[in-house]
Amino acid sequence: MEALHNLAFGFEHALTIHNLLYCALGCAVGTFVGLLPGLGPLATISLLLPLTYSMDTTGALIMLAGIYYGAQYGDSVSAITMKIPHASSIVACIDGYAMTLKGQTGLALFTAGFSSFIGGTVAIVVLTFLAPSLGEVAFLFGPADYCALMLLGFVCVSFVTTGSLLNGLAMCLVGVLLGQIGTDVNSGLQRYTMDLPFLADGVGLVSIALGCFGIAEITKNLDERKERSPFNGTIKLMPTWTEFKRIWPSALRGSVIGSFLGILPGGGPAIAQFAAYAADKKMSKYKHEIGTGCIEGVAGQAAADEAASRTSFIPLMSIGIPENPVMALMMAAFIIKGIQPGPNMIAGHPELFWGLVASMWIGGCFLLVLNVPLVRYLLSIFKIPYNVLFPAILFFCCIGTYSVNNSIDDIYITAVFGILGFAFMRLKLDASPLMLGFILGPMLEENFRRALLISRGSFGVFVSRPISGTLLGLIAAFVVWQVAAFVLAARKRRNSPEAEVAPPLADAH
Amino acid sequence: MKADHHQTFSPRESLTGRILFMIDKNLARGIFIVLLALLFGVPAVLHYPIGNFARGGPGLFPTMVSCILGVIGVAMVIRSRFIRPEPLELNLKNIGIIASLVAFALVSEHVNMIVGIVLMVFIAALAGTNYSWWRNVKVSAMLVLFAFGFARLLGLNLPLY
Repeated sequence: MEALHNLAFGFEHALTIHNLLYCALGCAVGTFVGLLPGLGPLATISLLLPLTYSMDTTGALIMLAGIYYGAQYGDSVSAITMKIPHASSIVACIDGYAMTLKGQTGLALFTAGFSSFIGGTVAIVVLTFLAPSLGEVAFLFGPADYCALMLLGFVCVSFVTTGSLLNGLAMCLVGVLLGQIGTDVNSGLQRYTMDLPFLADGVGLVSIALGCFGIAEITKNLDERKERSPFNGTIKLMPTWTEFKRIWPSALRGSVIGSFLGILPGGGPAIAQFAAYAADKKMSKYKHEIGTGCIEGVAGQAAADEAASRTSFIPLMSIGIPENPVMALMMAAFIIKGIQPGPNMIAGHPELFWGLVASMWIGGCFLLVLNVPLVRYLLSIFKIPYNVLFPAILFFCCIGTYSVNNSIDDIYITAVFGILGFAFMRLKLDASPLMLGFILGPMLEENFRRALLISRGSFGVFVSRPISGTLLGLIAAFVVWQVAAFVLAARKRRNSPEAEVAPPLADAH
Repeated sequence: MKADHHQTFSPRESLTGRILFMIDKNLARGIFIVLLALLFGVPAVLHYPIGNFARGGPGLFPTMVSCILGVIGVAMVIRSRFIRPEPLELNLKNIGIIASLVAFALVSEHVNMIVGIVLMVFIAALAGTNYSWWRNVKVSAMLVLFAFGFARLLGLNLPLY
C-alpha cells in the first residue's frame, strides 16, 4: 500500500503543467535527435544536456529522462525504417527492417511503440517496489565493496558494449585516468593540469562526451559516403486484431527479461534486447517466422529495450553507482543539479524520485500517443542531406560545450577530445566504456584510498569482506574464462590446416 | 600465403588498390594504449608523491591504473601477433572538422560568435562529400538564427556580437 501511496505522491508532482510540458518536450526532442544518423542516446543526452541548465531540478531531470527514452525510441525507428542502428538498437534491424522490406513499416513501428509502452509499465512496477528496498542494501556497502562493485561494472560494461574484454577494459581505464585530471581532493595537488587554470576543476564531462561521440560520429558518417535513401512509403499504423494479439506474449516476456537485465551491473538495453530476442526464438509460438520479419521479433526486443532502460535507473538511484555509460551521464546530470544519487536520495528528495518514476510512465504515454502517429513527419529528417546536417550538429556541440561554464576554453578541450575520439574510432575502440570510467574514476579512487586507510594498507580487506569478496570472485572467474576462451580458440585455429596463423606484418607490405 | 594476404583486405581496398602499405590496426591499438599509459604513468611516478598504501599520496592511484593499462596495452600487442592483421584506414580530411571547431573558438573569443559560426560552417564543409558555397550561406544563416533563439528564448549567455 505504501508503494501506491508513494506513486500517487509522485503523480502529484509529475502532473503539474510544467513537468508535463518538460516530459513531452523531452520525449519529442529526444525522438527527433535520436533519429539523426549517428546519434544514439549517449550523444543525444550530452547534446541536449545544456538545454536543461536553466530549469528547476525536478523538471530538468524529468526532461532528461524523457530525452533518454525518446532517443531510445527514435533509435529503434531509424533501425526499423532505415537499418541505421546505433549502439542501442541493433536487434531492431533484424526483424524490424525485414518488416519494412515487406511493406509493413507501420505495423513494425506500432508494434515497437506499443511494446515499449508495455515494457515501460512493467519496469515502473519493478522500480516502485525494488528501488527503496535496494537502497537499504546499499547501507551495508563499505568502501571496499563500492570498489569491487565499480570494478565489476567495468568488466561487465567492457564485455557487453565492445565484445572484447581487453579493448573495453582499456577504455574504462583511460576514462579513469582522464578523471584524474584536476585537483586531488585529499592533498589539493593539481594533477595533469599542465598549469592551465581551466583544467583545475577537471575536464568537463560534456567536452568528453561531445568530443568522443558527437564529433567522432560525424567523421564516421562522412566516411561512409553512401546515400541514405529516404523512406517514402505510406504507413498504415493500426494493426488488425489478430496482429494485435500477437504482440502481447512477446512484449510481456521481453518486459520481464529487460527489467531483470536492466538492474545488473553492465546490463542495460543492449544486452536486454539480445536476450529477449533469443528468448523469443526459443519460446515464441511463431518462432519459425523470427528473422524473416514478424511481429514477435520486434515486440520482444522493443519491450526489453524500454524496460531495461528504465530499470537501469535502480542501481543509480538506490546505490549511487551507475551501471552503464548512459546512466553515468545521467548521474553527471544529477550532480550538475546538486543532487547526489545514492541511498539517501529517495529519503532526501522524495518528490524528485517519485516524480521521476511517475513521469516515466507519463513519458511512455507521450511516446505512444504523440510519436507513433507523428513518426511519418519525423522521418522527413532523413530527407535533409548530411552535408547540411553535420555543420548543424557541430554547431550544437559548440554551443553545448560553451554554455556549461560560458567558457570558450571548453571548446578547445572538446576539439582535443574530438581528435582522441577520432583516433579511438579508427582503432576500433568503443568510447562508451570510457564515459563510465571517467565518471566512476574519482569515486573509485576515493573509495580505494579510504578502504586502504581503514585497513592500514592491507589488501586483505577486499577479499575478506563478504560483498567485495564475492564480487571480486565473479570478476576473477570472468577473466579466467575469457583468457581460456582466447587460448582455446587460438589453439584450434593453429591446429586446423586451412586457416593459417596471421602472416607477420613485414610480409604484408 | 599469397591468397591469404588478399583476404586480409576488405574488398573495396583490394579492388582500388589504394593501400600500398598497411598499418596493422590491432598492433596500432596496443601501442596507442601503451603510449596513453606512459603519458599518465610517467608524470605520476616522477612528480606526484606516491605515499604508501595506508596513506596513499596523489600519485598512488594514477600509477596503479597506468600500470594496469600498460599491461593491457602490452597484452593487446601480444594478441595482435596471433590474429589476422587488419588495415588501419585514416581519412585525414576529417581533421577539417576539428580545425573548424578551433577556428570557431578562436574567432568567438577575439571577434564574435556570429563570425565564428559562419567560419565554422565554411571550414567544416570542406570535409563534406561535396561543396557548395550557396548551401553554406543558407546553413550559416539558419544556425545564426538558432543561436539568437538560444540566447533570447533559453537565456544562454552567448557572445553573439
